[in-house]
Amino acid sequence: MAWGLALIGVAAVAPLVLPVFLVTTATEVMILALFALSLDLLVGYTGLDSFGHAAAYGLGAYTASLLLLHAGSPLPVAVGLAAAATALVAVPMGWLCTRTTGVSFAMLTLAFAQLLYAVAYKWQSVTGGSDGLAGVPRMAGPFGVTWFTSRTGYYYLVAVCLAASYAFCRAFVASPVGTTLLAIRDHERKAEALGYNARAYKLAAFVAASFFGGLAGALYAPFAGFASPELFFWIVSGQVLIMVIVGGSGTLIGPMFGAAFFLLLEHYLSAVTDSWALVLGLIFIAVVIFVPEGLYGLVRRRPPAVARSRPAPEREHGQPVP
Amino acid sequence: MSPIAFLLTQGLNALALGALLFFISIGLTLIFGIMRIVNFAHGALYMLGAYAGFTLAAGTGHYWTALVAAPVLVAAVGLALEFTVLRPLYRREPGAFLLVTFGLALVIGEAIRLAWGPEPRRLAIPAVLGGSVSVAGEPFPVYRLFLAGFGLAMVLALWQFLERSRLGLLIRATAQNAEMVHVLGVNVRWVRAGVFALGCGLAALGGVLATPLVTAYLGMGVNVIVEAFVIVIIGGMGSFLGSVVGSLLVGVVQTFGNFYLPDSALAAIYLAMIAVLVWRPRGLFGREE
Repeated sequence: MAWGLALIGVAAVAPLVLPVFLVTTATEVMILALFALSLDLLVGYTGLDSFGHAAAYGLGAYTASLLLLHAGSPLPVAVGLAAAATALVAVPMGWLCTRTTGVSFAMLTLAFAQLLYAVAYKWQSVTGGSDGLAGVPRMAGPFGVTWFTSRTGYYYLVAVCLAASYAFCRAFVASPVGTTLLAIRDHERKAEALGYNARAYKLAAFVAASFFGGLAGALYAPFAGFASPELFFWIVSGQVLIMVIVGGSGTLIGPMFGAAFFLLLEHYLSAVTDSWALVLGLIFIAVVIFVPEGLYGLVRRRPPAVARSRPAPEREHGQPVP
Repeated sequence: MSPIAFLLTQGLNALALGALLFFISIGLTLIFGIMRIVNFAHGALYMLGAYAGFTLAAGTGHYWTALVAAPVLVAAVGLALEFTVLRPLYRREPGAFLLVTFGLALVIGEAIRLAWGPEPRRLAIPAVLGGSVSVAGEPFPVYRLFLAGFGLAMVLALWQFLERSRLGLLIRATAQNAEMVHVLGVNVRWVRAGVFALGCGLAALGGVLATPLVTAYLGMGVNVIVEAFVIVIIGGMGSFLGSVVGSLLVGVVQTFGNFYLPDSALAAIYLAMIAVLVWRPRGLFGREE
């Protein structure tokens, strides 16, 4: 708690003392942290490895951009509507994806994200094709409010969104729904035998994760000033998954630090080598093999109560022999 | 063009495309069948096969050398990966495997970019297979005919191998019940490593065969892995027949879709996949687990 308050204090003062470019970097870190946080609901707490979370990010970014460019919506309205629209699209998508589990779920989510990538690429008249949507403005209002249109103001807007989302997710995973999700993650059949409709809970997690993923995307478009098909690309899905796993899935905090670690590593490595993706991939492989609980889990030095300490899967015929 | 000639040439095109897709999806499905894991790096190994094939063909001057040597090379890479990176993961949940192979896909893709650079590489069609023949009065490229025929031959050969040979028997037995096979004194580790290498080699074969048509380019790995995922979801994970039928189906939908609805051919494939999922969540030939 004390740490949390200290962090909020630091975040509140930071833009007043930091150089301008660091305020921009901090804003980007927070947007990615929100994105990673949202995926942790699926990966860490529901045990569904989504390889297509970029779908939510891209949907949020494109919806917000269209609202800001064509409807002239005030920024907070556009961002809120974009997140809600993403959650709405996630309902049928999640309904289909949760028909499967495990690797099929991963493949299906990837396929859907790539489909959206193709749509964004080809639907020239709406999405701007390969150029994407440029010049996304930070529309002022409602009621003449303008503070969030400046660089520092936008930083605070993102900070508030991140803090609120974190508070909601924390409450969500501690709620009866959240604990049921953990039960499903650890032993789906047992949870079903106890009378829980596992698929409905997984769908709820999918929609919640998409809502916050969409929120992150919606905040990204006015931050960067554009939305491009690359936001849907599998690389983005993979990168956010890396943030979650490297940071420590099933902790909510870990993935946010994972996002910061990822972005700072990218900035540092791309200055010294042009193949930072190679280094990142190797780090990622090493973390999955040697530190499955993630860096945050490592720092805590004890197996986290809810982290990815999944028991060995139920043995079936064809399971690998030791 | 007469309707019959149209159907015939497009059908052959679909068959050629289906053959290429089969080489990818069969590897994925064989590996899944025996290890219950999905190899995300499969597309990257296909891409490695394409680039290695390009270099081998350029170095030796023979397409056929590349067609044999590149798959063997990539199979060896697969074997090395299985020994070093993947083996410690068999006791973990399947998610860890997916994540590690995803990391491998990143690393292999990036290594290819560093080694060969960003520009696409062309591979000429060998002289024997160049030119075109007349199919129902219409010219048709010999190379595509070769692809279709080669694909069919490989389907039959693999099928006979799995059904008739002793090694095929061991593979099927291991897929069904690895513990029992282990108890009966078979070295299951070697069966697994062998199947993984075989799958990687087949992917590389697909890569070399595809290069004269589409060139070797960065990103070909992702495109193909997404298509292969769609195929195994349609056909059913771990099913040989599912892989064959799924590849053909996607080949047909893509070929005819490209002709009738050039902008939404991709969507047609996804609609087919969604329909199959709603109807049979485990795929057309997937078994209940």
